[in-house]
Amino acid sequence: MEMKSPLGGLVAVATLPATLARGGARVTRRAVGDLAEASVNAMLESPRTEQIVDTVLASPLMERTLSRALEGQLVEALSRDVVRYAVLERVAEAILEGDALEAVLDRAGAADVPRRVTERMLADGVVERTVTRVLEGPELERALTAALESPGMERLVIRVMESRLLDEAVERLLDSEELWLLVREIAYSPEVTDALSHQGVGFADQVAGSVRARSRRADAWLERVARRALRRKPAGELPPGPPVGPA
Amino acid sequence: MSTPARDRGDLVAARQAHAVNARVHAGTLTEATAPVYEGLVTRGIAFAIDSAVINLVALVVSVSVGLALSVLDPSANAETLALAVGAFAYAVWSVGYFVVFWSTTGQTPGDRLLQIRVCRASDGNVLRPRKSLLRFGAMMLCALPLFAGFLPILVDNRRRGPHDRLAGSVVVSAPVEPRPGRA
Repeated sequence: MEMKSPLGGLVAVATLPATLARGGARVTRRAVGDLAEASVNAMLESPRTEQIVDTVLASPLMERTLSRALEGQLVEALSRDVVRYAVLERVAEAILEGDALEAVLDRAGAADVPRRVTERMLADGVVERTVTRVLEGPELERALTAALESPGMERLVIRVMESRLLDEAVERLLDSEELWLLVREIAYSPEVTDALSHQGVGFADQVAGSVRARSRRADAWLERVARRALRRKPAGELPPGPPVGPA
Repeated sequence: MSTPARDRGDLVAARQAHAVNARVHAGTLTEATAPVYEGLVTRGIAFAIDSAVINLVALVVSVSVGLALSVLDPSANAETLALAVGAFAYAVWSVGYFVVFWSTTGQTPGDRLLQIRVCRASDGNVLRPRKSLLRFGAMMLCALPLFAGFLPILVDNRRRGPHDRLAGSVVVSAPVEPRPGRA
């Protein structure tokens, strides 16, 4: 039978307040946490919250905030960092390699999220305002320029060019009747035939012009030789002749 | 053979004719330019092109007629007659080719390609048919002594050969005006 020592009892009595204090703090934290969670849930479920969000979205404040953000250096900084750290590539690879994307899409589809989000944004005019602002501002152009000049875009283009998908697309295009019909229409169009005939006439004119120039040089040389052989004066200014117009 | 006095007379006549032309057709004639007389090589190339055209047409016609005759199987006399007719037709075709072109446009196809023109030395108009025929005959005579008859072109001030002097013609440059572009 185990004997309890008097010293052990004393220690237990001495640590009792501390043990009680820790237990009380744990209970308090749990109660505060539960209360906060309940408050957040109540706030999110409240129709008032929805009204507040709607009001904020519809207010000019939202538009000004968006404009300020786009006008500042934020877009450039974001674009640079996105390009520098290859964020798009990494995110795309991570999403495509895992099952998270499919799971998220399934859940969102099941909850009818896309339709609700779309309807809300369309109803509030957020889409129109955002698209107008982005298209009219210089930010889109700067972001596109940065993206197009990035090595990541170059690698992406190279991968697309080397992929089998492009080869198959080209093969299908070449096999299609519509393409050759289009080519035939273009080839027999009056504009193209006119251009080709002018090109042919231009080439013939060029050859004839070259022959004319060479023959006239040969004429001049032959005459110099003949006049020298016959000890005649070189041909000076030729006498005026009949009026001659173009052929 | 012409003399310097005759040349001066030609010049005076040419200027008078041009002045009359300008008065009569004021605003309708293209502005006259100083003529450039064409030399032996340029004219020789033009003549070679014309000869090729004449012989090509003659070859096509003779081959066609020969094929037709081979089917009909004519007698020896008929063949001789066909040859004589063919030779006459060839001569007429050759003479007619030059005479008609010189008398109508002043340019054979070869001349057109080389942008040269045969015209009267006096007023720049096209030759009359009789003068064209005379020029052609004289040209054949010049060609007989291994084309030596054309050598005076090299030393004449207006690059005229004996056939030109006989027919009163000169060969001048006739550049084609560029066509206006499409709108």
